[in-house]
Amino acid sequence: MQSALKRSTEAGTAGSVTPTSNRSLAQNLGGFGTLAEGLDYAAKGVTGFNFYSPRGQLQSVLSYAELRRQSMSTARKLLSLGLKRGDRVAVVAETGPEFMAVFFGCQYAGLIACPMPYTMYIGGKDSYIGRVAGMIAAAKAQTVVTGEDLLGHISEGAARAGAGRVLTHAELQALPEAAAKLEPFRANEDAYIQYSSGSTSSPKGVLISQKAIMSNTRGILRDGMRITPEDRAFSWLPLYHDMGLVGLCLSAAMGQVSVDFLATASFARRPALWLKLMSDNKSTITYSPSFGYDLAARRINGEAVTLDLSRLRIAGIGGDMVRADVLEGFAAHLSVAGFRSDAFLPSYGMAETTLAISFIDPDKPIRVDTIDRHALKHEGRAVPARGSHARSFVVCGRPMEGSTVEIRDEHGAVLGPRAVGRIFVNTPSLMTGYYNNDEATAAVVGQDGFLDTGDMGYWLDGEIVITGRAKDLILHNGRNIWPQDIEWAAEQIEPLRDGDVAAFAVENDAGEDEVTVLVQCRARDLATVEALRHEVSAAVHRSAGVECRVVMVPPKSLPFTSSGKLSRAAAKQKFLSGEIAELSLLTLAAGSDSLEAVH
Amino acid sequence: MTDTVSQLCTLLEPFNTNGTALSAATDISADLNIDSVTVMDFVMEVEDHFDIEIPLNVLSETRTVADLAKVVEARTRKG
Repeated sequence: MQSALKRSTEAGTAGSVTPTSNRSLAQNLGGFGTLAEGLDYAAKGVTGFNFYSPRGQLQSVLSYAELRRQSMSTARKLLSLGLKRGDRVAVVAETGPEFMAVFFGCQYAGLIACPMPYTMYIGGKDSYIGRVAGMIAAAKAQTVVTGEDLLGHISEGAARAGAGRVLTHAELQALPEAAAKLEPFRANEDAYIQYSSGSTSSPKGVLISQKAIMSNTRGILRDGMRITPEDRAFSWLPLYHDMGLVGLCLSAAMGQVSVDFLATASFARRPALWLKLMSDNKSTITYSPSFGYDLAARRINGEAVTLDLSRLRIAGIGGDMVRADVLEGFAAHLSVAGFRSDAFLPSYGMAETTLAISFIDPDKPIRVDTIDRHALKHEGRAVPARGSHARSFVVCGRPMEGSTVEIRDEHGAVLGPRAVGRIFVNTPSLMTGYYNNDEATAAVVGQDGFLDTGDMGYWLDGEIVITGRAKDLILHNGRNIWPQDIEWAAEQIEPLRDGDVAAFAVENDAGEDEVTVLVQCRARDLATVEALRHEVSAAVHRSAGVECRVVMVPPKSLPFTSSGKLSRAAAKQKFLSGEIAELSLLTLAAGSDSLEAVH
Repeated sequence: MTDTVSQLCTLLEPFNTNGTALSAATDISADLNIDSVTVMDFVMEVEDHFDIEIPLNVLSETRTVADLAKVVEARTRKG
């Protein structure tokens, strides 16, 4: 780490970063009808985006003025392809100026940008291609734009999805500009498609309107972060994810805030660079899931004392369950750098509501509520408690202005304080719907306009406390992992069949999700069982990039619903109660004919 | 075992928490039970040790220590 930090102090190659404040342009916090209008305004100033290399050198500087110029040129080049208004353009969201020009270019051209992920896992090529193919198909995108290095992967995915045209950024920029007058999206039109929801096998694109993105960024800038001209943001979050795209990219642009970016993969390799660059740039705002703070604190070692994080006034947390112990650990490690723990800003949100739903008051410290585990689990009540039977939750704040949150019981009745129920939201930031998927949309958005978030929680003094998820979704390091994807990957292994695998998260004492995979095993000898266990673990790694616990269970032990669907909730409950138990290795080793689990 | 493979095995050893015997055939993500974040930590060690950059697209096609050794050798020759 030390060598990386040393290298990062060498002179960059891209001049100097964009200034923090606009001297001659009044700050306008999201008072625009569209993203294009917001960029038009920001382009009158000197602020903008800055991109750092994997070793922390300034690689490129893109002022909002330059971004606008490049975006308008890119818009004309996209239109030269004969694209029609509202056509989808899938683009790999690598952290860099090229992606920004295509995303905002689509805004000026009236095209719907669909930011797609890049591959992040060692050995993950095949699952990546499957993932992007699903996304391109779900958006019915005919045009796909990528960097040169991923061209092979993306071309394969595009071909599988039937997309006719794949362009590298260089090929796109070499196109002639269409002469037509640009007609940017209007305030009553769509804006982009966000993929953060749905499994690999059936991805859902969240269609976000101009109205939704403008209302959400306005709320984030004004109520959530209370931005001033002195603010400067830092982000390593992926731009294909709602928190990265909306939280610290689009919001910043709509508030003329300068942002310094480090690519997610660079952060993953050198987490301490995040802290080092924030110190260098006098950053005031950053955002991360809890695990990011944990990672950075553990890697900074003795360097913490050389840093100055005293300007950081918002260290936002979102994307996973906010964990009080992790935050305390980070604050303790970094207090020597002037970090103040009241900078932590827990928040709650999701792609279906563009991003933000609630924030705590940025001027107040975080609040932790400690309640009785038993009453939470069995009575659905949040009863204050202490000691070993208690569990702590971080309070996630009040709903943003204009949004209504209800916590309802299973019959739909609205609940009061300290009663745990399902969280519903009605907000002007609500998605238009899942693109081209009315059925999926109707499953989560009710006639009353409220979104079923799938999360469980309770009210405390008008603030939301999240206790977990009602859905089967697994949360891991800020990522959503769909159990279907894990099961599908495992079921490709011989001799496993459809319905032989159940994946779910088991929460450990620290409140982290541990991925558990139950596998119905017909083999009888130890070597075969262990080989199968290894193969399942490897397949889960390649498809989802997580460690998991593989549990071999007897055939026909997994529970199914009356309609023949695997019931993960029942499988998990039976596993935790011991009703489904791992095949006894002793029994297997003895070569017994019995496949009965030993209780 | 080639020199690159043995150097990679040495770099990989601290991440090898379940005591697997490391060789050219070791599948880095599958055999060692290390998660995607920790793998990147290892990748950083490799990059720093050999003073190279390994792009993500290349990483996505790399499974075994032998695969990685090929990548390292190709990139150190270039530099």
